[in-house]
Amino acid sequence: MTSLAGHCHCGAIRVTLEPHIAAADLPLRACQCSFCRTRGALTTSDPQGHLFIEAAPGAINRYQFGLKITDFLLCAECGTYVAAVSEIEGATLGVVNVLGTRLAGFEGRAPDPMNYDGEDVGQRLDRRQGRWMPTVVVETSPSA
Amino acid sequence: MSDSPFTWHTGGCHCGGVRFEVALPPVVEAQSCNCSMCAKTGFVHIIVPESRFRITKGAERLAEYTFNTRVAKHLFCAECGIKGFYRPRSNPDGWSVNARCLDSPEGLTLNIEAFDGQNWEANAHGLSHLSQEPA
Repeated sequence: MTSLAGHCHCGAIRVTLEPHIAAADLPLRACQCSFCRTRGALTTSDPQGHLFIEAAPGAINRYQFGLKITDFLLCAECGTYVAAVSEIEGATLGVVNVLGTRLAGFEGRAPDPMNYDGEDVGQRLDRRQGRWMPTVVVETSPSA
Repeated sequence: MSDSPFTWHTGGCHCGGVRFEVALPPVVEAQSCNCSMCAKTGFVHIIVPESRFRITKGAERLAEYTFNTRVAKHLFCAECGIKGFYRPRSNPDGWSVNARCLDSPEGLTLNIEAFDGQNWEANAHGLSHLSQEPA
């Protein structure tokens, strides 16, 4: 499948989503939590695909709240919410913010509103194990 | 003061480090912009004059991002990244407040119109009146 590329506004964090199905068949979710609503975030993930996140040195600001089992990856330079990652049984699983990275292939789609209130840690991690995608986060080295 | 057409509303970032207040009429004209910046942040604009906005907490926590003409001062909380307000290029004498960051929409009617920020130069003049102080 064609890989999907995007980046935050300033370009310090770049993402590549390698899906196993067409972009049109990937989910598009509008989480209704307090964090996602303030940003109008729209996320996607492909459990059988891969997500690669490449950041300039110092560009990633990791923000946690609520259950504190998730790192929300924000650009320290331009403030964009790029992706969320969670460590689950030794693996890094993630979702990417389609809106923040302007990933192509989702234009004009109506997102599915999602409400995860009331989940405990176990339920949340179980859900993510089934839906989120293997993610690699790389911070590039400064050039010599 | 009781005859003021405006009511002060509170809002803030996600982590609570930055707080603000904005004076709004019951019916608010708001803009959803499609420019490169707003499309990535989901910002819903409520543009007000200087006198109708105040930062009440955390000004020192604000990070500033600029690009292109660097007139707009894009401000966000350095902790949680949320952009609750900024100095817009269309109205550098006022503020644009993010409707998504108001604590409560109670008593407010938001009329959200699409703003074509991809053709900013052709359209920005249509917003200039929003930051004018009352005569």
